[in-house]
Order: sequence, then C-alpha cells, then structure tokens
Amino acid sequence: MSLENYQGYVERCCRCSCCKFVPLQKVRGIKHSYVCPSISKYNFNAYSGGGRLLTIKSMLRNKTSYNDKLKEIVYNCQMCGACGVSCNYAMDIEVMEPISEFRIRCVQDGQTHPALEKVITSLRTTNSMVSVTGKRSDWALGMNLKDITKDKVEVFYFAGCLSSYEKHNLAQSIARLLQQAGVNFGIAGEAEMCCGGRAYQMGYEADFLAQAKKNMALIQKTGIKTLVTGCADCYQAFKVLYDKFNLKGDLQILHITEYLRQLIQAGKLTLSRRVDLNVTYHDPCRLGRLGEPWIHWEGTQMPGTRYMFDPPKEYRRGEHGVYEPPRDVLRSIPGLILTEMDRIKEYAWCCGAGGGVNESNPEFSIWTAKERIEEAESTGARTLVTACPWCEKNFDEAIKATGSKLKVFDIVELVENAIQKGDTNAPK
Amino acid sequence: MHLSKEIYAEIENIVGPENICGDPAIMPSYHDSEIGAVVLPKDAEEVQAIVKLCNKHKIQFIAMSTGFIRAQIPRGSIYLDLRRMNHIIEINEENMYAVVEPYVTSAELQAELFKRGLNCSIKGSGSQCTSIIRGHGHMDISTSGDDRNQLAMEWVTPAGDLIRLGSLGSVNEWFCGDGPGPSLRGVISGRGSGDALAEGGVITKSAMKLYHWPGPVEFPLEGNSPNYNLKEMPAHFMIRYFSFPSVDKMYEAELKIGESEIAFELMGFNVAMLSANVSSSLEKEIQFLEKAKKEVQGPGFYVIIAANSQEEFEYNQKVLEQIITETGGKSLKLVEDPRVAGILLIHGIRICASIRETFRSRAPGGKAYGFQIMGQRDVCIKWIGEAAERKKKLIEKGLGADDGGVFFGWSVEHSHLGKTEIFFDPSPDPRSVEAILAWQQETAWNALNNHLAVPTHLPLEIIGPRVSNYHIWSKKMDEAFNPNGVTIFLPSLTG
Repeated sequence: MSLENYQGYVERCCRCSCCKFVPLQKVRGIKHSYVCPSISKYNFNAYSGGGRLLTIKSMLRNKTSYNDKLKEIVYNCQMCGACGVSCNYAMDIEVMEPISEFRIRCVQDGQTHPALEKVITSLRTTNSMVSVTGKRSDWALGMNLKDITKDKVEVFYFAGCLSSYEKHNLAQSIARLLQQAGVNFGIAGEAEMCCGGRAYQMGYEADFLAQAKKNMALIQKTGIKTLVTGCADCYQAFKVLYDKFNLKGDLQILHITEYLRQLIQAGKLTLSRRVDLNVTYHDPCRLGRLGEPWIHWEGTQMPGTRYMFDPPKEYRRGEHGVYEPPRDVLRSIPGLILTEMDRIKEYAWCCGAGGGVNESNPEFSIWTAKERIEEAESTGARTLVTACPWCEKNFDEAIKATGSKLKVFDIVELVENAIQKGDTNAPK
Repeated sequence: MHLSKEIYAEIENIVGPENICGDPAIMPSYHDSEIGAVVLPKDAEEVQAIVKLCNKHKIQFIAMSTGFIRAQIPRGSIYLDLRRMNHIIEINEENMYAVVEPYVTSAELQAELFKRGLNCSIKGSGSQCTSIIRGHGHMDISTSGDDRNQLAMEWVTPAGDLIRLGSLGSVNEWFCGDGPGPSLRGVISGRGSGDALAEGGVITKSAMKLYHWPGPVEFPLEGNSPNYNLKEMPAHFMIRYFSFPSVDKMYEAELKIGESEIAFELMGFNVAMLSANVSSSLEKEIQFLEKAKKEVQGPGFYVIIAANSQEEFEYNQKVLEQIITETGGKSLKLVEDPRVAGILLIHGIRICASIRETFRSRAPGGKAYGFQIMGQRDVCIKWIGEAAERKKKLIEKGLGADDGGVFFGWSVEHSHLGKTEIFFDPSPDPRSVEAILAWQQETAWNALNNHLAVPTHLPLEIIGPRVSNYHIWSKKMDEAFNPNGVTIFLPSLTG
C-alpha cells in the first residue's frame, strides 16, 4: 500500500492524545502511565502517534515539506506500535501502518539518516544487521548440529544476526534445549541471512524484500515447514511481514517461547531444578503487540459518514500478540516468582532498540531502556527477563550506564538452568 | 518561522532551547496553522515570564494541556503546551482535595485516588483529558460538575500576573475556591462559551474536590485491549440500563433517583451511545444497536449503584426497583448480561471510552454541531426535545446523519440540574451543513425567545441585553484582565 492509501485513516485522528498513554483502563497512577517513548522524551506533539498522523495528513495535502526537523522526528521513533494499540482501543483506524509507510516514503525520497544508510549498505554486502566478526555459524562450532541445506530436518532454527555474531550464548542455549527435547532440527550455518525485519523498520522496504525473498528461496528448497527463532525481530519479520507481502506461504513460524511451551507441555522438557529468582518479564514489541498475525484484507469504503468497509475491516489492535507462552514457560520453572510491571503485554513500554533508533540515536535508545529498568526495579524483582536479544542487549547497556543492580536474562537461559544437570542429555 | 528571532531568543532564555520549537515541521501536529512557536514551560514562573513577554510584544498566546480541542490558532501566536506540568502536588486525604498541575490526566489522578479510597469528578470528554478541566461528566450525580470541583487555584492572568485564588490567596491553603480570599472562579472558568482549560490566561495549579470511593483499588480485569472486561463484578456494585415510555417518565425517574441519593452514577446515554461504548469496533456497534433498538421502549439511561455494605446495597437496589416500577421503566436485557455490564461499568467509572461515543463514527475532522447545555434539567429537556423533533425532520429529508434524531443528557447532583446535549452530524448531502446551521440558529433563538436558556451560537451582543447586559460586563472584564488582548479565547469543542 502506498502512503496515499492511508489518507482516510490519518484524516480521522481526533487528536485526543490517547496514543500517548497506556489504554486508559490500565492507567494505575501517575507513574508508568505513558506508553510512547518518543513523545515522552521529546514532548512536542509531532513525536506522538497522533502527531505523526497529522504530519502525514499535512504531507498528503502538500502543506508540509521535508526538512531536517521533520527527518529528526521521523527517525526518532522505535516503531514499537504502542500508540496504535492505545488509539485502537476506541478508534477504527490504522496507526502504525501509515507511520511505517511514511518512513518508507522518506527513504524512497532520499530523506535518509546517515547511520541507517551505513547499516543498510553493510547489510547489502554482508547479509547482516550487525558488524560481522568471524563466521555466521561460529556459535555452533562443536555442537554437531544438522545443516538444513544438507540434512533432512523438521524444524529450522533461525538464529538471527545478533545471536549469530554477538549473543552466541543465546543461540547455543536454544540449540541445546532443542537437542535435549529430541527435536529433529537444523540450522542454515553460513547460508543463513538477515531476515530483513529491522531494515523494514528503518524504512528500507526494498532491502527487506530482497532479504525475505532470499530467505524464502532457501527455505522452500529444503521443504521445511516450521521455523523457530529466539529473536522477536526475526519472528515478526517471518510471521507478519513476510505474510504481509505474501512471501510466507504455509511456513509455520514459532518463537522459541511458543515452542518451549509446547515441548514442556508435551513432556519433552522437564524443568525440575529450582531457580530461586524473583523476576519480571519484558514483552518485546515484536513478539507481543506487533507479533500478532497479519490480516489480509481488501475492501471498499461504504457510503455514508461512518468509515466502514465492505467486507468489514478487521484491525490488528495488539490483542492477539504472544503474551501467555513466555509467561507459561516462566511459571513452569520451579522456585521462580514472576512479578509483573505496570506496563505489560499489548501496552508494554519498548526497550528502545527498535526502529533503527539503536543505530541512529543511541542516547534516545538507552534513555528508553533506562525508563524500563526503573519500572522493572519498582516491582522489587532483581531480574529482568526478556525474549529477544535486541532487548537484552539494550537493557545491558542501560544497566551499565545507570549502575543498576538488576540482572538481565533471556528466558531461554532460565529454562536451561531449570533443567537438572544430572538428566540425560542435560545441557552442558 | 512566524516569530522574530529576537522574541524567539527571549523565550528560549526562559525555557531553554530544547523546550521551544518554531520549526514548521511540528506545527501540523498542533492545529494545522502557522503558529509562531510551541513552548513547553515547566512551572508557573516560566508561564508567567512567557505571558509577560507576550504582553510586552503584543503576541497572542494559548495554553493547552492534552490538547483535545480543535481551533484555528492565529498566525504567529505562542502555543503553550503544558506537557511538562504533569505533577500531582498533593493529595490531602483528610480535607479531601488534590492539588494538580494541568497535564495530570483524570485517569492518572483517579488511579492514585482509588488507592486511597477516594474518587474525583471526570469530564465526559474522557479521562485522557486534564483533571482540572471544567465541565460535566458521567458521575455528576455523585460528584457534581462544572466549577463545583475546582477549589483554590494558581492562575497566571492574561496580563501576566500570578494570582492565588480562594483560600490559597489568604491562608496559603488549598481547601476552598471562594474564600477566605479572592474568588474569581466565575471569571476564569465560568465565562465564555467553551470548555477549554484556561479560557483566559493559564491555570498553573488547581485543587480539585475529592469524594469517597466505595470500590476496589483497581478493577480486576481480564482480556487484552480493546476487549478488557471485569473478571467479576466488585462487591456491592450493580449496573442497569433502563428505557422509559416517554421523556417525561424518564425524567421523573431521574428526579426520584437523584433525590433518594442511591446512585453512584446516572448517565443518559441513548442506545446509540450505549452501543458505541460497549463495542470494540464500528461493526460490533451496529450489531449491538440493532438488537438494543428492538428492546428499548423509549429514551433511557444507565445507573450504577456502588454501596459500602451489603445492607446499603440492598436498600439502594430496592429503592431503584421501586422507582423503576413507578415510572414504567424497563431494564435492557442486553446490559443484564454480565459481560456487557462489566464493560459498561468499567467504562462508566474510568471514563475511558468517550472517543468511541464521540469520534469513532464521526466524519473526518470530528466537527459536531449541536448544543451542550448545563441548566435546569426539565427546562432543557423541553427546549432540546423540540430541537430533536426538528432534527428528525431534517434526517428524513437526508439533510443530516441518521442517529434516530436523538438527544441525551444526565443528572447533576439531585437531578434538578442536568446536562442536556444534542449532536447533529452532517450527511453526505451538500446542503446538509447549511441546513444544520439553520437548525442550530433556530434552536438558539427558541431558547432566547422562550426564556428557556442562555444559548451558545448567538453573538454576545444579542444575548447580553437579555441577561443583565452581560456583554457590557464581559467587555469590562476583558479590559481589566486582558488589557492587551493577548489571550486567545477558544470556541467550544463542538460548537
């Protein structure tokens, strides 16, 4: 869809400011009532979800032109989707889609951010979203894992760029758990390529599509029907974005937390070792609210003043994100106490790493993470658990910057700790 | 930039460079006009300094909190975005008031109050709006409305003076708006036609009256947005929607409920608004409305009972049952469904679905025509009821959006006072807006000529001579408080 297709939606913003707050029913007090990092940090209304829609409306009416300030506003957004959830509590409009489409338009018009240009230029040559050090499959050395390009497997474990090059522990933990559960899985090794999801968030639609097509060509060649990943960005890319562009086919996409829940419920993994931790869980945006399935829809506006369509349009309001699987996994760990933060699930505060902000404005990215660290600490928990390496990385950096005593773990690490070391096939 | 570099620099010196912006890129997100600069003051001192500067240079300014209002702001004016003034200064449980800054929303304040067994008045515009806005809302029968809840205030006048009103001005306490100390509540919040915050100058802090809350610290909710619902109805809470054979019977019931003091809330939603409130999409709203229309016998309202004990709860229920029997009311079965009752209850108390009722189905721009009148309820019903009949005729001709020709309203305090509202959205017919404007004018003149109300939508010079030459006094007040004409008075949100 082009930006012009969203004109009807952006025209309907009534400037109520709901996009700035968690859904009003969930406001628990004066603290943690804000949901959008961008307006919370920069305060001027243009940084809010509604402000962005009104800016797009003005652009579509040729009343606003590009300038440095506009670009600064456009790129200072994690594209976390929280504004859309809060808006869609009441309004039947698209929020995140036009905001995303506007960023794509900026890139197409050459209105790019130099830091993001650098990342994408690198992606085009390395197939990676992060700096390449060593080989992509170095993390798997000595693990004796199957290769999907050579071996017949049922499940493809897609490690993703960050786990492949920086967070080896996470990829290794996942692989060991899958081995422990007896899953017939494989990895793509050196053939694995960036999913393209973060390129899409940055506005580089063409580069995203190039990555998506390469990945799906590889997968289709193997005949694999199920892909599992431990990265929320990869998960959303394969499950939602590939589907949006009709590239996913019937490939089943599972986040590792969904798969672990299945394996635990099926008795293939037994968590019997106590992990005496008081933890709080951070919902990654792209596993949670933005992880809900894409809805294919085409229709025409019905006559009359109501903005309704034939056939009826179903909006993605964040209701059907992946919220319970990670919590169920945590609840199945003996000794672990889960204490929730004020902002959770569809109205969780973003970690700050998304939308290219991590690369284009690290200070804002860390500021956003610090806000979450403070919220996590306010629960009394000493451990912050998440389910995405990008979140974990950003939280680690924020903790270093603040001197917080909070520990950050990926949920996979805790599951591995909960498996008796004496068990057969227990992780090493 | 529509502001000189010198003036911009002067403001920058007051608030710091990160809290002023004159770049055209941010203006569409405000009011689609050529604002001189948007400024983010952090406290009353900064507000006062900016307002004085505006007076010095004869620049117009306007202050806004969450900004839920649409208006054309004059080119080159200063827009004070009060976002950074977002602190609850004090919650005084003993004397039952809260002192808040303008960007504290009703949702935030109410949530803090629930923790303390207290509640506040929330306006119908929704709990995303400032908690110090003047106006009316769903809980008016138990919390009243308008400026009844505004106690002492700190006010930067349009001329840039900082005035402490009510008891704040005499004994440095926040408990009273009318004294001991100077009372100017009528001047700063009762004047003009709008519901906007700070119709003149800027209210920088206000003490708001608090009320007892018999409910839980938090509602036990299940589900994800947009389908939150109560896990279970809190103890001693009940909600029902009643329809009546006639407007007269409905008002008789309102009056009896108000006088018997049994209701926590009485809100006169018509079934279209009820349907919008409980439905998470337009399609579901229409489905609900079709079912509700078949079940109701006429105009209606919903009632919430919230009691402190089982005995009080049973008493209130019995009295309500008696009143409904006497007035021929009929409970809407759809709302007796616990799922629907749960949604309506949490929305009715936390006022978090106002946008569904007002803007979800409205045409782009959100412009609504009509009247929102606070006054003697029976008189307003008579006046607006007649307007509703003329509205129906225009709808039949295709000259207005078809909402059944409804109007609605609700009780304030003991139901002798009330808020009565009628909206009229245009239809796609190109003659529609003109027809509605004519309807609006006729309705306003009817009020004036038949001594039913002091209407909006007529010039002050016409209304003034009928009401003690109000226009002359209004002009004198302008000259006294706004000598340089720098404060911008906004029209009503929907006027």
